[in-house]
Amino acid sequence: MDKRAIRAAFERAAPHYEQAAQLQQEVARRLDERLEVMKIAPALILDAGCGTGFGVPLLRARYPEARLIGLDLALAMLKQTRARHGQARGWRAWLSRLTPHASPLTLVCGDIERLPLARDSVDLVWSNLTLQWVGDLPATLREVHRVIRPGGLFAFSTFGPDTLKELRQAFAGIDGYAHVNRFIDMHDIGDMLVYAGFAHPVMEMEMITLTYADLRTMLRELKAIGADTVLEGRRPGLMGRQMWQRLSDNYERLRRDGRLPATFEVIYGHAWAGRKDKLEDGRQVIELKIQHRRSGQRGGG
Amino acid sequence: MDAKLLEILVCPLCKGPLTYKKEAQELICKADRLAYPIRDGIPVMLEEEARRLPAEEEV
Repeated sequence: MDKRAIRAAFERAAPHYEQAAQLQQEVARRLDERLEVMKIAPALILDAGCGTGFGVPLLRARYPEARLIGLDLALAMLKQTRARHGQARGWRAWLSRLTPHASPLTLVCGDIERLPLARDSVDLVWSNLTLQWVGDLPATLREVHRVIRPGGLFAFSTFGPDTLKELRQAFAGIDGYAHVNRFIDMHDIGDMLVYAGFAHPVMEMEMITLTYADLRTMLRELKAIGADTVLEGRRPGLMGRQMWQRLSDNYERLRRDGRLPATFEVIYGHAWAGRKDKLEDGRQVIELKIQHRRSGQRGGG
Repeated sequence: MDAKLLEILVCPLCKGPLTYKKEAQELICKADRLAYPIRDGIPVMLEEEARRLPAEEEV
């Protein structure tokens, strides 16, 4: 996938993102629920692909002592995050001193595929509906593993292969183009996590079906979450009237109870950063144990 | 710039350390000769947004 196109799509989508992204919000809530059983007390959390900051209030509520880093590819998204959840200024700052302390939030514009953070620097990486946009998932998981301290946790959600299956079906046979992203199966993601050095990956999947009044509304909402421009193998140029009609006719056959369904296969996963006796390129790290001989002190030890 | 963030921020390409230039609002990677801009207080750690340092510029 073209990284520039993805970034541009999200820069454009930022102002309308929050209202259109109820799915993201709901999935964030469900991902947060999965943290309930984890016995962790992270000091530093990275929200990788924070968007407009859905994860921020959830993570603040769960880990009030932690510092938060919000990372996103689009600067416009980060500015929205700051406007909503950032440090208070002026009279608000004065007011916030009277209210319970909120975890400090720091924002970084960056790419989850090339994280600008030192190795072993964070305790928890949270990533809500971001991994589906990366170009090289195995490399991305190695990057995430690199920045998590041994024993730290990676918790994420992403889309699975059945996502937008109705749209894919409606496009089938219209022309030779894919039109809809191909998403990776959760079993393969589990394997990739292990190859990246993670231990005990746990994967879950659920189907969420949203319904829309019509195809135009549906595509408009997909556009608002930045997803439309990254549909793989798109045919260049605008969709002709004839093609639109065929797509629309195909999709209409799926209408149930007066609404058009769109399925999202949501994958939830978590895994623990293992012992780091291998570098990300596979080279082994050999720990040298140097015995410190204490001279001049005998006995008593 | 958040001082605690500076401690763990590295070049996204070589993962090497960065030098903070307060006046220019840039983070410099000497190894890659790249200057990452800080916009509205947010460091932009993307190669395509970084300024390539000319050979004569001292870092």
